[in-house]
Amino acid sequence: MKGHSYKAGIFLKDESRADWHDKTLWMVRQKRDKAARSVADWEDLRERASSIKEQVLSNLDFYLSEFEQRAVENGVKVHRASNAQEFNEIVYKIITDNNAKLVVKSKSMLTEECGLNPYLEQRGLEVVDTDLGERIIQFRKEPPSHIVLPAIHLKKEEIGELFHEKLNTPKGMSDPVLLTSAARTHLREKFLSAGVAITGVNFAVAETGSVVVCTNEGNADMGVHAAPVQIHCMGIEKLVPQTRDLAVFTRLLARNATGQPITAYTSHYRKPRPGGQMHIVIVDNGRSDRLKSEVHRSSLKCIRCGACMNTCPVYRRSGGHSYGYLIPGPIGSILAPSYNIKKHTDLPFASSLCMSCSNVCPVKIEIHDQLYKWRQELSEKGAFSPVKGLVLKIAGFILSKSALYDFSGKVARVALKGLPRRMVYSKINVWGWERELPAVPQESFKKWYSKNSGKNNL
Amino acid sequence: MSRDNLLTAKDLIPEFIESLAHVGAEVIKLNGKDSVLAYISENYPECITFENKEIWEEYSFSCSKEKLEKLGTIQLEGKFGVAENGAIWLDDNCFPNRLLPFIAQKVIILLDSGKIVKDMGDAYDCVNDCGYGVFISGPSKTADIEQSLVFGAHGPKSLLVTLF
Repeated sequence: MKGHSYKAGIFLKDESRADWHDKTLWMVRQKRDKAARSVADWEDLRERASSIKEQVLSNLDFYLSEFEQRAVENGVKVHRASNAQEFNEIVYKIITDNNAKLVVKSKSMLTEECGLNPYLEQRGLEVVDTDLGERIIQFRKEPPSHIVLPAIHLKKEEIGELFHEKLNTPKGMSDPVLLTSAARTHLREKFLSAGVAITGVNFAVAETGSVVVCTNEGNADMGVHAAPVQIHCMGIEKLVPQTRDLAVFTRLLARNATGQPITAYTSHYRKPRPGGQMHIVIVDNGRSDRLKSEVHRSSLKCIRCGACMNTCPVYRRSGGHSYGYLIPGPIGSILAPSYNIKKHTDLPFASSLCMSCSNVCPVKIEIHDQLYKWRQELSEKGAFSPVKGLVLKIAGFILSKSALYDFSGKVARVALKGLPRRMVYSKINVWGWERELPAVPQESFKKWYSKNSGKNNL
Repeated sequence: MSRDNLLTAKDLIPEFIESLAHVGAEVIKLNGKDSVLAYISENYPECITFENKEIWEEYSFSCSKEKLEKLGTIQLEGKFGVAENGAIWLDDNCFPNRLLPFIAQKVIILLDSGKIVKDMGDAYDCVNDCGYGVFISGPSKTADIEQSLVFGAHGPKSLLVTLF
């Protein structure tokens, strides 16, 4: 089985690196806490963000039509795609209609989800990811390991080596300032010669038909304003009703993602510039199915801040790539099974259910509860191995019979003390593969309590 | 609340200046727009300003990208600032070409210190309908390599806000 725990095991083999990964992300989490505490009405903002998203999801058809109508009035060409294939075809057609060969792209998890890059590349187009982290992993032909910090799994020396090979920087150069400068020169060339610029969308405003994109690097704007054609790609869930609602989300997003008070650029695209072309592609790709599910619809509220990853003890110690899904961490673990339940069976289990993810979520998705519900669903669908099912049945039976439980405890206390180590930690003891069993107590808690409480009534 | 009520309050200026420093912008405050213009022409003699109609035309949408790429320092005037995060709103009326605030190596933003609002809630009440508008908070930045903060990812390497 090459699931999350297997890949996490590989990640953990390099102990110092795993430790560095853990600490770096914890630092981001601490920055987030500091930023959140600087806002007096933080909890109120989370509550409002959550209810705005609820409102949108409950009236999505209305807001979608309003948005589309306004956008068309603004001179924007609006396209709708019901799945990844349609989405890729639409984008490809816009590009070829404009005879473009080079496409620059700013960050968009949606295009990753739909496999846009390989689709376009197979058809002879050059696609350049322009976010620095995304460009790095594109050079490495790797998926992102984090949705906000795509190259967080890499050390600067590795990036130096990569840039030496790809951008001809001096060998051994690993200073982030110099590496960023090399990427700047390389990407400016791409910005100026691209025929089409593609961006993701953070928020789409129904009442104005505009889309909002937040970046720190300014890469979305460099692309969009330099290329003759701009394409913004959004999932149907990105809508907010009014411009005013943006106040809630722009106050939450960057603070929760990286601890910044706001991203360097919060760009509002409403109309194409004179002589330019602006397209918006609205994508469903399984979202309306999720909307129908009473249990899982709240995952559509996600604004992709990545805070649940930074705070998750499992994510920090297993790395984004161990999840095997483009969105890793707690939110990815509840999104992935709704796309492919067979492939991602293990992800709802890649969690200790400590609830930290739910506590930091800016739109109050009860992620831990969703993880738990996925486990229930998967168990009902028979996704567990028969061994695990049997073990749980036996455990359930023992736990329901008090006398049997007492007896098993006695047996275990004797057996664990008496048996040789290699028998206790045999292959059957999956739990003991990666950790030590706790020291065996002299007596059961029940016995200890009755002795120490001074009463003998248990 | 009317827009005039939101824009103001002298006590927001220190918070705004502090936020600007936090997001990596340089900031100076001088008395009156004339002093600011004098300061810029003295310290940044090569700075391009678009106040003159001919220059506005020269750099409008038809201007070649190659020419824009050669821009060093440019000067723009912001519509209003936001105290809580140092963001400044600029829209299509503030520049002849949407690429300008991003492609120049250094951007100087002039801002009337009477036009500062408290937070994004008030800010969105001041945003007017326009084809394109942006909140700019500090220079372009990235931390994609080992979380080291580097200014000048793609856009301007530095941002100077001159308050008057």
